[in-house]
Amino acid sequence: MNNAIEIINLHKKYGQLEAVKNLTLNIKVGEFYGMLGPNGAGKSTTINSITGYVKPTSGQINVLSQDIEKEFRFTRSKIGIAQQEISNDWFFPIEDLLFFQAGFYGINKMSATKNIKNLLAQMGLEQHKRKKMRALSGGMKRRFQIAKALVHDPEILILDEPTAGVDVELRHELWDFLRLLHQSGKTVLLTTHYIDEAELLCSKVGIINDGRLIKEGTVADLKSTINKSSIVIKIREGQAHPFNQILKDYDWTYNKEELIISSESPNSDLPKLINTISTSDVKIDDIQLSKTSLEDVFLKLTGKKIDD
Amino acid sequence: MIKNWTGFFTLSGREIKRFFSVWKQTVVPGVVTTLLYIFIFGVALENRISTISDIPYKIYILPGLIMMNVITNSVANSASSLLQMKLLQTLPELMITPLSSTEMSLSFIVGGTVRGTVNGILILLICVLSGMPLENPLLTVGLIVMVSWIFSALGLIIGQVADSWDQLAVIQNFIITPLSFLGGIFYSIQMLPDWASKISLLNPIYYSINSLRAATIGVEEFSLIGSIIIIIVCNVFLSSVAIILMNTGYRIRS
Repeated sequence: MNNAIEIINLHKKYGQLEAVKNLTLNIKVGEFYGMLGPNGAGKSTTINSITGYVKPTSGQINVLSQDIEKEFRFTRSKIGIAQQEISNDWFFPIEDLLFFQAGFYGINKMSATKNIKNLLAQMGLEQHKRKKMRALSGGMKRRFQIAKALVHDPEILILDEPTAGVDVELRHELWDFLRLLHQSGKTVLLTTHYIDEAELLCSKVGIINDGRLIKEGTVADLKSTINKSSIVIKIREGQAHPFNQILKDYDWTYNKEELIISSESPNSDLPKLINTISTSDVKIDDIQLSKTSLEDVFLKLTGKKIDD
Repeated sequence: MIKNWTGFFTLSGREIKRFFSVWKQTVVPGVVTTLLYIFIFGVALENRISTISDIPYKIYILPGLIMMNVITNSVANSASSLLQMKLLQTLPELMITPLSSTEMSLSFIVGGTVRGTVNGILILLICVLSGMPLENPLLTVGLIVMVSWIFSALGLIIGQVADSWDQLAVIQNFIITPLSFLGGIFYSIQMLPDWASKISLLNPIYYSINSLRAATIGVEEFSLIGSIIIIIVCNVFLSSVAIILMNTGYRIRS
């Protein structure tokens, strides 16, 4: 499969600050790629380099196999981006802004009309189309940003923290919409510092920290790199426990009637454990599985939580 | 040079619609200010200076007033539009579209040129109604357009370099306005001491006013052809600087 975006040794310095350090990554056509990292990790610098807004200090970026500088008209026409920072035009209603945006991409008013009408409807902005930006709520502004990114029907959609600061309901609506876009064949690059967002949407995730790509893979691959799953068994109060004898083969701890057993494959270990513990006459009140999350992966790789 | 024609026309159209959408701020003030100048300088001072080059003083100053209005509006349009886009975060979004630096620069310059021309022609109409002769209407309009283009290009450069409204105001108030006044709006530079008259020849605004005086009231203190050549040179020079500066991304790209 061809690469939609190919970043080779991207390096960006702002004065003494190295925002991105020799970053190399490929995003395949049709992939839903999540760029995960804390604030200041270099995510926005990376995507702004792809669009050509940021001039890299060194390195090369290709979009659909074309150099973004030499073939900027081609590469930019293939990318739609919803920036993290919401722009705020004072002069024109949002419908006019969408027509302007289409025009900048070489699409005349007649050709753009149908797509703009559909986008306004899909984003729930139809009844607000003659309003100016400042009259829109935060959620509407965010939806408008996405409509603007899609006005020229790009093959690659880049979303920089699309759900930052939006309420839960809108976040779920946006997720559904992004899934539909991906299913329609678009390549999506999403930057986020919401772990659940990346886990839920992305077919591949790259973890960026301190300007470097420190790990990349599918969510399952990343989770399998650490073994932090465990089985938590609540034991009925007041019982003597024979775990030293019966759980010799496991790594376990017992504290305040809570037995925690580390496991690489909790699903297959669980029936065996229940059987072992039951035969020893210990009464069980509750059982829970604690599985590895991307959060755990991030913590292990970077030594800090994503919100730190 | 221009490949994305739809994009170029769209951005030019946006710039024109932008200033028309706030016409009370962009068109009316120029008209009111010029009427005040005509009244104060033309009527009140006419008793002190009756004629210059055999032309009544209140008529003599009118081409200068037209040019002052043209210059102020064309500079302000592209400078404020670009700075506003910077501050409102709409510029980064524009800069990642498939518009080249040349296409973007020319679109902003066209916007400022149209504003300068619209204001210039409105003031021209007021001046003609006030009794100003119009010897060469076609040349008059051509000069208004050319001077609007020069100062729109200059405005674009200023808008790109400035980072705040304060910086913009400083450039407008301490460079553009003094140069306009010293370009001979209200007097002939021949009335100045020799040294001041020679310094005035370094001021490009002088040639704008001189050429418009020649085209309207027929007073030619400096060669009309010479003035037009200087205007064309300024046009090419400032447009090139604006395009090159936009291409460097100075203060507009990270």
